[in-house]
Amino acid sequence: MAEIIRAEHVTKRFTGHTALDDVTVSIPEGAVYGLLGPNGAGKTTLIRVINRITVPDSGKILFNGRPMEQQDVYRIGYMPEERGLYRKMKVGEQALFLARLKGLSRHEALTRLKKWFVKFGIEDWWNKKVEDLSKGMAQKIQFIVTVLHEPKLLIFDEPFSGFDPINANLLKEEILRLRDNGATVIFSTHNMASVEEICDHITLINKSHNILSGRVDEIRRSHGGNIFTARFRGDADALAQRLAPSCEIMESENDLTGFSTMKLHVADNADVRSVIAAINEETELRSFNEIIPSMNDIFIRAVNGTL
Amino acid sequence: MSNIGIIIGREYRERVYKKSFILTTLLMPVLMLAIAIVPTLLIMFAHGDAKRIEVVDMSGKIADRLESNEFVEFTSGGNDLQQALKKSLEDDNFGVLYVGENIIADPNDVKLYTNSSSSMTMEESITSQISDIIEAERLKEYNINNLKEIMDNVRADVHLSTFRNDAEEGVDKSVSSAATGIVGIILGFMLYMVLVIYGSIVMQSIIEEKNSRILEVMVSTVRPFDMMMGKILGVALVALTQMLIWGVILILISAVIMPSLLPADIMSGVASIQAGATDVAAVAQMSDIDPEALTALSSLLDAGYIAGIFATFVIFMTGGFLLYAAMYAAVGASVDEIQDASQLQTPIMLPLLLAEIVLIMLLNDPNSKLAFWFSIIPFTSPIIMPARVPSGIPLWEVILSAVLLFATFAAMVWVAAKIYRIGIFMHGKKPSFKELWRWLRY
Repeated sequence: MAEIIRAEHVTKRFTGHTALDDVTVSIPEGAVYGLLGPNGAGKTTLIRVINRITVPDSGKILFNGRPMEQQDVYRIGYMPEERGLYRKMKVGEQALFLARLKGLSRHEALTRLKKWFVKFGIEDWWNKKVEDLSKGMAQKIQFIVTVLHEPKLLIFDEPFSGFDPINANLLKEEILRLRDNGATVIFSTHNMASVEEICDHITLINKSHNILSGRVDEIRRSHGGNIFTARFRGDADALAQRLAPSCEIMESENDLTGFSTMKLHVADNADVRSVIAAINEETELRSFNEIIPSMNDIFIRAVNGTL
Repeated sequence: MSNIGIIIGREYRERVYKKSFILTTLLMPVLMLAIAIVPTLLIMFAHGDAKRIEVVDMSGKIADRLESNEFVEFTSGGNDLQQALKKSLEDDNFGVLYVGENIIADPNDVKLYTNSSSSMTMEESITSQISDIIEAERLKEYNINNLKEIMDNVRADVHLSTFRNDAEEGVDKSVSSAATGIVGIILGFMLYMVLVIYGSIVMQSIIEEKNSRILEVMVSTVRPFDMMMGKILGVALVALTQMLIWGVILILISAVIMPSLLPADIMSGVASIQAGATDVAAVAQMSDIDPEALTALSSLLDAGYIAGIFATFVIFMTGGFLLYAAMYAAVGASVDEIQDASQLQTPIMLPLLLAEIVLIMLLNDPNSKLAFWFSIIPFTSPIIMPARVPSGIPLWEVILSAVLLFATFAAMVWVAAKIYRIGIFMHGKKPSFKELWRWLRY
């Protein structure tokens, strides 16, 4: 897949600390790309380097395979973490102003804005002043003006902060729809559930380093750690004894209907097929599933260094 | 439309459509007019309140000849000072004037007893009247015939008519140095106000934008240079709009309203001076008005003269504003809060204050070396040059000064844009001059 952005060995130091230390990130075109990491890890700095707000001390940014230039910035839609709107301006006027700055004609901007305002059910905000809006309301406006000119690359810094679950869902749907229409979306977040739902790729940044990069499904699979659950009818103790050489029994419980559920950690050198065969011989096996760790688990383990 | 145009449009509309802008623009001329007119009205209507003074005249030569006017009313207080003092208190009069017996020989033998505090004008009016009377009495003792005629003959009243000796146009019409001096100073102060007030508006609104983080939203759309220039030009247009409205009002007053309010004979005098009459004193006598005042009036009521001054004013206001606004923009971009800006503002305020000092010295000599150089140096020229123009200076000086001003503005924008580009995304620590210097070379 073609890369739209590639950051190569980017390092940025501020007085007192290093925000990014030799970070390399490759963002494929058409992906929803999550930048994860604890607070202060360097996510926002990386975004600002991509946006050319911050100049890196070393390293370079490639845009569509060539060194990025100032003009390329104007092909990005960017929603910063700290939302910014003119507080004294009316919502509609402000949206029109920002839309026209992005190269839309007045007429085109009006048509598109109306569509978005209807979609979000906020038509009656048009003449409100921004300072009278709640944080969540202002977020919606900010989102609209970010995507209005349909840029090829969208960057959202913590897009879900300040949204209630309903609006967060609305936002997720819109982000996925933008991707389906051909845009590449980069966003930074702490919200792991949203990462599993909408990200194709992630990069995990911790303490200024890129510690984990790749496709979400591959990462989860590769960090599966050979953990399975088996559900069966039969003698759980006998089974445990039989599996003891190749498995560690993590949990085992019997329910009232006579079924048992067992959580197993299969040793690295053991064969999963023979484990299944053993269970099948010993009991009446109903289901056998691999447990894929959640991004939340991977995040915590990666940050704690126990991955 | 280009981005800079869209930004100018926003900056302009945001300010001009504000109620406060419309109010100040319309009320300011009214306020100025009130400041000029109210004191006159007060004096005109105040004379019903003349102070009553009883005169105890021991010489018998003064009391009858004291003339009451709008400030004082003299009445006879008899010959007994003690009794007069007592009566004055009872009647709640202003006081008692005591004139000694030998007043003609000893002019210091005059005393004023007041029941409340006295005033300079009142005392001056009394002493000047008494000295006139004493002088007349003393002259009379010389027994000269036809003294009154001789004195009328001797009295001289000098009026100096000034003309501009212009190499190209020859002797020009009469100009009033009093009028030009005052007009110059008023223009200078107005320019100072415009530069500081509108300059600070630019600075404040940049600080506001910085704090509202709107700049980070705009960065993916607009070049920082466009943002800064858009703001400066937008605010400049607002200032120009205000000045144009005021200018139109001023020209209307001087060309239409004032002439119709002034008496016809004064206006005919003004007209003949504007037409180039050289014998100002004669014209003044015909119109029954002080020649100096007539010349001043004729200058101020000449719409062409006012328009010429106004044009220079607008050119230098624009240039000066752009120059100073660029400096204010740089300061605004480098701080987070207005309180932090004061130290960085020093290099802006210094030349302005210096210009103000020179401005006051202009009244003495608008064509001194000092005035010349301050009207050429770009940082002070926006204030000094328009103030010198009313007194008539060579055109090449004006053009040179204007060219220098706009060239400096271009250089200053280059500097300010560099500081702005970095400053708007810097939050937290206030930068020192040394740091700003580093940003410049970044």
